[in-house]
Amino acid sequence: MIEFYRVAKEYQGRRVLRDVTFQAKKGEFLFLTGPSGAGKTTLLRMIFRAEKPTEGQIIVNGMNVSGMPPARVPALRRSMGVVFQDYKLLPRRTVLDNVTYVQKFLGVPAAERRRRAYQTLRLVELHHRMSALPEELSGGEQQRVALARALVNAPVLLVADEPTGNLDHRLAHEVMKLFVEISLRGTTVLVATHDQDLIRTTGRRCLTLDGGRVVEGLVEGALPPQASHRRDEAAP
Amino acid sequence: MKGTASLAALWSEAFEGLVRARRMTSLSIALIAISIGLVGAFFLVAENLRGVVETVRDESAVTVFLRPGVTAADRADLERVAKDSRLVARMKRVTPDEARARFSDWWRSLAPAARALPTNPFPESLEIDLDPSALSSQAVPGFLKNLAAHRAVEEVQFDVDWIRRLRGAVQLAKAAGFVLAALLTLGAAFTIANVVRLTILLHRDEIEVLRLVGAPELLIRGPFVLGGLAQGLLGAALAVGGLWVVYRGVIAWVVATKNAFLGVFAVRFLPGSTSLLLLLFGLTAGVVGGLLAVRRKNLAG
Repeated sequence: MIEFYRVAKEYQGRRVLRDVTFQAKKGEFLFLTGPSGAGKTTLLRMIFRAEKPTEGQIIVNGMNVSGMPPARVPALRRSMGVVFQDYKLLPRRTVLDNVTYVQKFLGVPAAERRRRAYQTLRLVELHHRMSALPEELSGGEQQRVALARALVNAPVLLVADEPTGNLDHRLAHEVMKLFVEISLRGTTVLVATHDQDLIRTTGRRCLTLDGGRVVEGLVEGALPPQASHRRDEAAP
Repeated sequence: MKGTASLAALWSEAFEGLVRARRMTSLSIALIAISIGLVGAFFLVAENLRGVVETVRDESAVTVFLRPGVTAADRADLERVAKDSRLVARMKRVTPDEARARFSDWWRSLAPAARALPTNPFPESLEIDLDPSALSSQAVPGFLKNLAAHRAVEEVQFDVDWIRRLRGAVQLAKAAGFVLAALLTLGAAFTIANVVRLTILLHRDEIEVLRLVGAPELLIRGPFVLGGLAQGLLGAALAVGGLWVVYRGVIAWVVATKNAFLGVFAVRFLPGSTSLLLLLFGLTAGVVGGLLAVRRKNLAG
């Protein structure tokens, strides 16, 4: 489902990621961790082609993302769900619109859109706020709207960047349970987080970014002690 | 069905965008209405000048004034020359008495004065109606020259040169209208492009999000192009409506003031085809403006 082969990323001559190689199978749930600025977001952004690798190859769902022509990128992005660290909600749209905005233009009837949105928002306990604007929601609620938007299309791949950063402990674990369920239904889930407690309690495979390289870690694997010394090499 | 739903969604998005930036949209529509209105005014003037030409042409006739004391043989020869020409449709002889009676009928207040004159000052004449299709013929000037050179003729009056000049003016007004239309449509397109570009700047954050969640390019660019199209069309419709109001106002003024000059001519509004053409100018300006605004450099991801 996701395959990285010797991927490197450079910003203005500075290496952020180097020789990154890993694979994630269909339906697999895995964490990506590392200190702030380790390149987690950059790695995730390369999966949905918001960034291009400087070297190496990325294959997502059988498609070579690194060499993909720009015209095919929207379809790639629609095949996956992405939860952004800063939510990226449409500020002037309601929760319902945010969750189903793209579907509206793909010809999905209004009733069907509403039904899908309701079901997905129910999963994140926000079905009662469908008419609210993002500015009327708390940070945690906005994060859950972003989560609902990522899930509404039943994606084959879910990529989430710090999806529980603004959620309380209970809700964060609920969301993780949801991710596990989704992965059990065949969706590959890749979650970037630095919440070691969450990684431990969820008990899944974990990739740790260290000095721009991926270190395969076990569930119990915490940040390696030297990681904090390599932060200056990392990307924004 | 899916296509229709998508198109409806794009239109609703476009209108939402226009309403959201209502001040800029109103200004843009007003500017387009002025531009298209100017073009329409040109066409309206040209259309009415054409009407004037038609009216004058319908009533045009060659009047040949005969010398006083012309002989019957000379008069008969002149009539033969006229009759033999293929350019002549009808011919009528007007005696001095008939001419005086006609004058008295047209200017009743001057009739007693005309009657009081010791001699009849009105000359005998021949009124020749030319075949309408012959008016633009190159043979007309030669024919008129022949008539003027005839020994029975004192003077020949004919307005063909004036009509030709008027027709030339109509054609010039039309051509100028098209040049003006091209320039102002281009100007309107740039106005729309700038307004749409400003709207794009206002929606930059939304565009970024839409790209990241995989919105097709058509969805990102489509509403802006449709917004431009709507602005162009609304501006043109406003221009045509405005011209119609002005036209009705002129008619009302002519009727109220009993304006003798304008009252002679039937003032008319633009034909349907020209009104549609103006709407087409607006639509073209809108689409071109929209497309200019959504060029890749303005919408770079």
